[in-house]
Amino acid sequence: MKIYRRIRTWIMLAIMLIIPLGISLGAMALEADPDMWFFSYLEAEVVLSLITIFAVIIAADSVAGEFSTGTIKLLLIRPWSRSKILLSKYVSLLLFMLFFTVSLLLFTLLVNGVLFGSNGEYTYPNQGSRSYIVYLLSYYGLNLIQIIVTVTMAFMISTVFRSSALAIGLSIFLLLGGNMMAALLSLLDKPWVDYVLFMNYGLSTYVSGGTPIPDRPFGFSLAVLAGYYVIFIALSWYVFRRRDVAA
Amino acid sequence: MLDLQTGGTEPVVRLLNVTKRIGNRTIIDNLTFDVPPGEVFGFLGPNGSGKTTTIRMMVGLMRMTSGEILIRGRSIRTEYEAAVRQVGAIVENPEMYKYLTGYQNLLHYARMIPGIPRKRIDEVVELVGLTARIHDKVKTYSLGMRQRLGVAQAILHRPALLILDEPTNGLDPAGIRELRDYLRHLAKHEGTTVFVSSHLLSEMELMCDRVAIIQAGKLIDVRLIHGGAENGGKAEVLFEVDRPDAAAEALGGAVLRAESGGIVVSAGREEAADINARLVAAGVRVYGIRTVTKSLEDQFLEVTGGGRIG
Repeated sequence: MKIYRRIRTWIMLAIMLIIPLGISLGAMALEADPDMWFFSYLEAEVVLSLITIFAVIIAADSVAGEFSTGTIKLLLIRPWSRSKILLSKYVSLLLFMLFFTVSLLLFTLLVNGVLFGSNGEYTYPNQGSRSYIVYLLSYYGLNLIQIIVTVTMAFMISTVFRSSALAIGLSIFLLLGGNMMAALLSLLDKPWVDYVLFMNYGLSTYVSGGTPIPDRPFGFSLAVLAGYYVIFIALSWYVFRRRDVAA
Repeated sequence: MLDLQTGGTEPVVRLLNVTKRIGNRTIIDNLTFDVPPGEVFGFLGPNGSGKTTTIRMMVGLMRMTSGEILIRGRSIRTEYEAAVRQVGAIVENPEMYKYLTGYQNLLHYARMIPGIPRKRIDEVVELVGLTARIHDKVKTYSLGMRQRLGVAQAILHRPALLILDEPTNGLDPAGIRELRDYLRHLAKHEGTTVFVSSHLLSEMELMCDRVAIIQAGKLIDVRLIHGGAENGGKAEVLFEVDRPDAAAEALGGAVLRAESGGIVVSAGREEAADINARLVAAGVRVYGIRTVTKSLEDQFLEVTGGGRIG
């Protein structure tokens, strides 16, 4: 309930839907022969990174915010174990992400379908025998995995730091700086670099046949992400269970 | 002095050798006391004595280094959910979600405990007097209103134990009076045990049946507020008279002390009436009769040695 009653959530939703709408309307005016699949993909690309930022903000605020405002005191004096409380926060976070992502998918398909329709000529890079929708869904799916890992990292930062401002700031910094870091690190020719989280972002390139790290198989990146995920979750739970709420 | 009188029923809260250490500072040192059921139990101590830390340990916000806290027999350490289910608490200022309405806040907490119907929420809102503003966002509430909402969330699930840390913070005299009356009502008529910590000794004197005094993390004493029962029904009674020495003579030396303007004797209610009769018969003019009790403030300062910190 808490996520959905804040005005910022609905502003985010609005932004998220207006942007693809804007792109599609603009395309209508400019493009000669727009294809719905092309634009659905393009808009997904653009907006999914936006969704990541939004979700990270909400994740970072979810636990740290309770500490900053002091509402954590009343929240914890309930007949729920700390694990249960943390889990419920995490689940509501994931549901929120799902909600936004699915909304984006449906909205773009609807808008573009209505405005353009498919002209049958455009194909996705390396589409092969897959149908348009399967390709698009794979793209979404892979991105979703990535977003979940990022969001879980923000969630962990939120539990570790009790300041809402710090948690949000640090999470966004890592998100944006991560890409930069990945670019820099790729210049280094050391093997351990491949194990840095951000190097393995870009799972969605798999859809068109690539992998995040050129010389490593797709499964490798997936495994690295999974490993980080486990660490994030474990740390969050450990810290939250043991913390003394002193102030 | 541990007060072990429980009136024949199990104590609602038992603290057993509770210790809290942070680094190498012992903040709470072997705290042991019981809270009997159905009373308003006060928790007093100078600043920094560990009252808030103790309360936080009682509700599970902080971990104790060693010791045990039992709420109606359930351990906070090992049976947290069952233990805390019976507790409603306000720790310092009750922080609510500002962007939600009062009602939504209560709904949020009600959902965390199975079996609280909407009717109960409305009932509670009525009880704390917030019906008019309950559907406004909490950020528009005054401090008094937030305090009342805090009480509301604490009593939603009809807990056997109500724990309040400085509940009169920010309330105006009417609010304080209301709260005090309400707490005494809860204790008397619904059998709720109320555990209050506060600085306001005058308030505690009016509100509590029994108090525990803590200083520097150690329990100093647990005593009844109205000590009449303990002394076998006798108290110190002051008779305001015109001639104290004549009065003392008339009573033949059963006088505790003579003060300017009166004499003090130890007597029960009936005895005091008798003494009055004897004084009058002896020609002494009696202007007033009253019991002399050391105020809680005097007792407190005496026992804690004047309130130094640490």
